Amino acid sequence: MSSLALMRLLESAPDRYDAGMRAITLGRVTHLHAAVARAAVTRPETRVLEIGCGTGAVTERLVALGARVTALDQSPEMLERAERRLADARPDRVSWLERTASEIDALPEASFDAVVASFCLSDMSAGERAFTLRQAARLLCPGGTLAVADEVIPEQIGERLLHALLRLPQVLIGWLLAGATSHPIRDLAGEIRAAGFVVEQEERWLLGSLAAITAAPGVRAEEEEKPK
Amino acid sequence: MSFRPSAVGSLAREVLLMLLRLFPWSTEPGLRSVGDPSPSSPVLVTGNYDLTVRRLLRALEGLDAWVVVAPSRGINVWCAAAGGHLTSHQVVTALKTSGVAERVEHRRAILPQLAATGVQAREVSQRCGWKLRFGPVYAEDLPRYLAQHEKKSDDMRRVRFGVAERLEMAVAWAAPTSLVFAAVTALFRPAWCLPILALSWTLAIAVFLIYDRIPGPRRLVLGGGAIAGSLSCVVLAEGGMAALSAAAIASALLTAILTYDYSGSTPIEGGSHFEERRWTVAMDRERCKGVYSCWEVCPEACFAKPPSEERGVERKVDLAHSEHCIRCGACIVQCPEDALYFEDEKGLRVQPDTIRRFKLNLMGRRAVATTDSEVTD
Repeated sequence: MSSLALMRLLESAPDRYDAGMRAITLGRVTHLHAAVARAAVTRPETRVLEIGCGTGAVTERLVALGARVTALDQSPEMLERAERRLADARPDRVSWLERTASEIDALPEASFDAVVASFCLSDMSAGERAFTLRQAARLLCPGGTLAVADEVIPEQIGERLLHALLRLPQVLIGWLLAGATSHPIRDLAGEIRAAGFVVEQEERWLLGSLAAITAAPGVRAEEEEKPK
Repeated sequence: MSFRPSAVGSLAREVLLMLLRLFPWSTEPGLRSVGDPSPSSPVLVTGNYDLTVRRLLRALEGLDAWVVVAPSRGINVWCAAAGGHLTSHQVVTALKTSGVAERVEHRRAILPQLAATGVQAREVSQRCGWKLRFGPVYAEDLPRYLAQHEKKSDDMRRVRFGVAERLEMAVAWAAPTSLVFAAVTALFRPAWCLPILALSWTLAIAVFLIYDRIPGPRRLVLGGGAIAGSLSCVVLAEGGMAALSAAAIASALLTAILTYDYSGSTPIEGGSHFEERRWTVAMDRERCKGVYSCWEVCPEACFAKPPSEERGVERKVDLAHSEHCIRCGACIVQCPEDALYFEDEKGLRVQPDTIRRFKLNLMGRRAVATTDSEVTD
């Protein structure tokens, strides 16, 4: 069970989402959440933008580390659940936005110390992902951090084959039951670089199919790469 | 017409898509250009269901236009809109990230009318500055619609369920059902595969051709038919083991095809949870300001505008043909005055905001939400 093909099925039932994600990733999702939160929050009062907060699993960790979070999700059901989860912690530290990632261009430039995206970039089309990453670069202060975790296609050929094999039954079940599947990203680090970041760290789990990447805003590639 | 390999491949894929059209087939969201579009060419938005995008591009052949494919999880426009997968969010995302804004000088986009159940035109406009207009129900009417300066004639507003549409849905049901049953049959008696295939296709085609002409409570009648058919199979088997197993497979097939809830495959009714509660669209006439967005998006022409000469005095719309309503909820979602809502027999209401939020969610979330937010009249 090394793929998130069933993740989409879980998204239609937020109440079972967290338990389901843990089961599918053999508990690795917890490590990823922790890794992302640790990378994003280096000191108390860090201003974090979380894109696609889902049920608030990462939001909770960010707040626990002392961050101030702007959490964004397009699903009202997910936001409701996340708000409930954080109700006993420090709800004053989070502002919730029912918005899509494509609307972060409305947020002021250099207004965050960290941008976090956990398991939401793979749910986007390539165009949407490029837009979101470029905007993330704009939103970050100098010295800020981009911390992302997602399902990726393993780099090594052996791992890739094994991953594809293990993934197939899940894809079938997910497709038949929910009519949806996940889309692991081929070159997440490359896309992050293309948006103007310098990749600082990349960790992989589960046959290299889960990645956590930390990056810093660097040279803006978007100015050179005009759309054709 | 010359046959290039790519054209053959494309045709083969389209046939496959039609046979398995009950399943989602996605195509990459983003911007497509048709012909040689300029910055003033029209922008058309649709979902990322492969078959729809193919048909849309074909319908537009010979024109110059931009097509923005929004991420609807590979589900067709109407189902995605009703199920909460093609909403204002996905349209905002597509308009902002597809790059269309850099290619055109205007901010007007045309959506298929059936997206009105999910996409709130006013909200999209507030959030990203694009003005949305609900075009014809069918892509094939687009050239005519564009030629008459984006004016819809009455026939472009209506959902059709003629022989062609019925056969298309029958094929969509018959293909996967017959395959599953033929596969099961092959395990016992390969010789029965053909009769079972024939039975599946005949039944599916028959059900779709007569679906709305079945008198009385439709599903009870069909259920009765399934039981009667199954019993006669058993009687005809006369006790022989081989014949009995054939009868069992045939009965299962009859039951599967005859008792399925086809609400999502026919524009006839709103599904069993609607039937149970007998929800109907109701109108608060006090609130109506004569905007006519309901009239514009209703696929069954349930609303009537007052005659134009009377509109100085009376602007309010009439829910004149509620008997045609299929409870898609598009009128409720679009009304800027919240003048429309669902109401059940007991007078319990589902408020417009609940409809906008939960749509006709496939997991039945809206039905659940209703019980929480009931307002007694």
